[in-house]
Amino acid sequence: MINLGSYLAISFALFVCGILVMIARKNIIAMLLGIELILNASALNFAAYTKFTNNNLDGHIVSLFIIVIAAAEAAVGLGIVIRFFQLRESIHIDDAATLQN
Amino acid sequence: MYLNYLANVGRYIPELLLVVLMIGIIILETTYAEDEKNKKYVFILTCVGLVATFASLVANMSGKAEAIFSNSMIIDPFSTVMKMVMVLGTLGAVYLSTISKDIYESLKTEFIIMAIGVLIGGMILASANNMLMLYLGIETLSIISYVMASLKKNDERSSEAGLKYALFGGVSSGIMLFGMSHMFGVLGTIQFSGMAANIAKLDHTQMLIMMPSFVLFFAGIGYKIAAVPFHMWSPDVYEGSPTPVTTFFAIVPKLAGISALIRVTMIFFLTPSALRVGWVGLMMIMAALTMTVGNVTAIGQKSVKRMLAYSSISHAGIMIAGLVMINDIGVRAVVFYGITYLFMTLVAFYVTSIVQDKYGNDHFERFQGLIYRYPFMGIVMSVVMFSLTGLPPLAGFVAKFNILNALINSKYYSLAIILALNSVISAFYYLKIVRLMTLKTQESNEEIEGFGFLNQVIIIVMTAPVLILGIFWDSIMGLAEGAKIFIK
Repeated sequence: MINLGSYLAISFALFVCGILVMIARKNIIAMLLGIELILNASALNFAAYTKFTNNNLDGHIVSLFIIVIAAAEAAVGLGIVIRFFQLRESIHIDDAATLQN
Repeated sequence: MYLNYLANVGRYIPELLLVVLMIGIIILETTYAEDEKNKKYVFILTCVGLVATFASLVANMSGKAEAIFSNSMIIDPFSTVMKMVMVLGTLGAVYLSTISKDIYESLKTEFIIMAIGVLIGGMILASANNMLMLYLGIETLSIISYVMASLKKNDERSSEAGLKYALFGGVSSGIMLFGMSHMFGVLGTIQFSGMAANIAKLDHTQMLIMMPSFVLFFAGIGYKIAAVPFHMWSPDVYEGSPTPVTTFFAIVPKLAGISALIRVTMIFFLTPSALRVGWVGLMMIMAALTMTVGNVTAIGQKSVKRMLAYSSISHAGIMIAGLVMINDIGVRAVVFYGITYLFMTLVAFYVTSIVQDKYGNDHFERFQGLIYRYPFMGIVMSVVMFSLTGLPPLAGFVAKFNILNALINSKYYSLAIILALNSVISAFYYLKIVRLMTLKTQESNEEIEGFGFLNQVIIIVMTAPVLILGIFWDSIMGLAEGAKIFIK
């Protein structure tokens, strides 16, 4: 039986995975993927809440916007990563440490 | 339905003007970029456009609060005042970008285009009236900011700043969105007014879901205004970005975040509830931590730019402290603080930027003996430093006094004491610059080119409000009073 609870459980699992990726992985591309996981978790939440509890379209619209914005953010993020790679020849987050003192 | 959007077109003319201006500059840049002479016209066009936006915002001041676009945005005096401050900040940063050597000549137009983009995002954020517009505002603001931070594309530090900003920003806006989704689920709508009405009807289980959701939501806004513990990106990004970009970041995104925080607080938590207690507690802790960590860390810095970054963190803390009592006196004090913060920050960054351009770096030693060589600039910088510390009779004193007054009025004595102690700590590093400028002699006799007459005039004009607001502050407080949030 698929109810609201199952959707919320999946989205929570996605969210936790995203946070764990951000903490544990050192590869910048993987970290960008982690951000996508977090955004998708919330998009799923919005859609699920609209389907099961709220009788308005707000949630569907928000999840559509989230997909668009996730794409924009990934484009900008990858652009910056490419520039960083050209300068450092590395996509390891530990190499981004010149600014700390 | 469609005609409704046209009927109140008068209320969103400022945003329309900025969008047209942005498109116009993009077309100019792509069509006539080869000729060096055209750069000047781009700058003049930007100034005209921003001044026109400012004028239309002034014209909007007189109207009463009105919700447009099916209630998704609200145009009221409060958001208009915050937008005016942001437009002035952008104008200041744009002029600084034209004289700064920290941005490549060929990228100056791009800086202007992106600054206007961020400004549009900030304006959406300031008048957001539902969750979707709030999120869109924050993302418009952030995504363009990531690119701005890495504007010096052959510089490792700048790319690194952009990278850190993008990663931290992506995670925190995702976290905020996750909190938002649960708020939407429990409260049933994304409209602020509907959500606020439903908060009173929550039962115990729903309250348990809402508590962590609001914490997550607060994390997203706290990230945007660089509140501790979400401030880790801020010093790195401020130091790595070119100086005009840093100036811009210290003003526009920060004030946009503050105005979003003010609106959310004033809509959701006017009536007493368990959530309000939690939110106020969260803001108190955040304010105290932000002020203290910002100030204490600023003491040890070698680079003036990094020092100013930490000091802007502590100023954000003071502005959050003005919100914990959730009443009009506090909001008025915060709006006034925002106005004075704009001018003080602009002057401090202008002087730092020019000194950095002349000497190649911005370490404290570069300010030695500045007052003997450029008396006006030395005096102006000292005035601003005294004002940032909060000494009378300057604007910074009045601003801090208003917030202290609001805190003591509502009996938040502990926070008031922390704020006063922090002013003392901040005196240490602000006055260090004054001491270096006046008491030390310059380290070398090497002749450097001057500040330039026009730049000096502009810096002095920007300092004038710091002096004037310190004495004649009633009139601008009247403006801030008109800016109370009208939500019923």
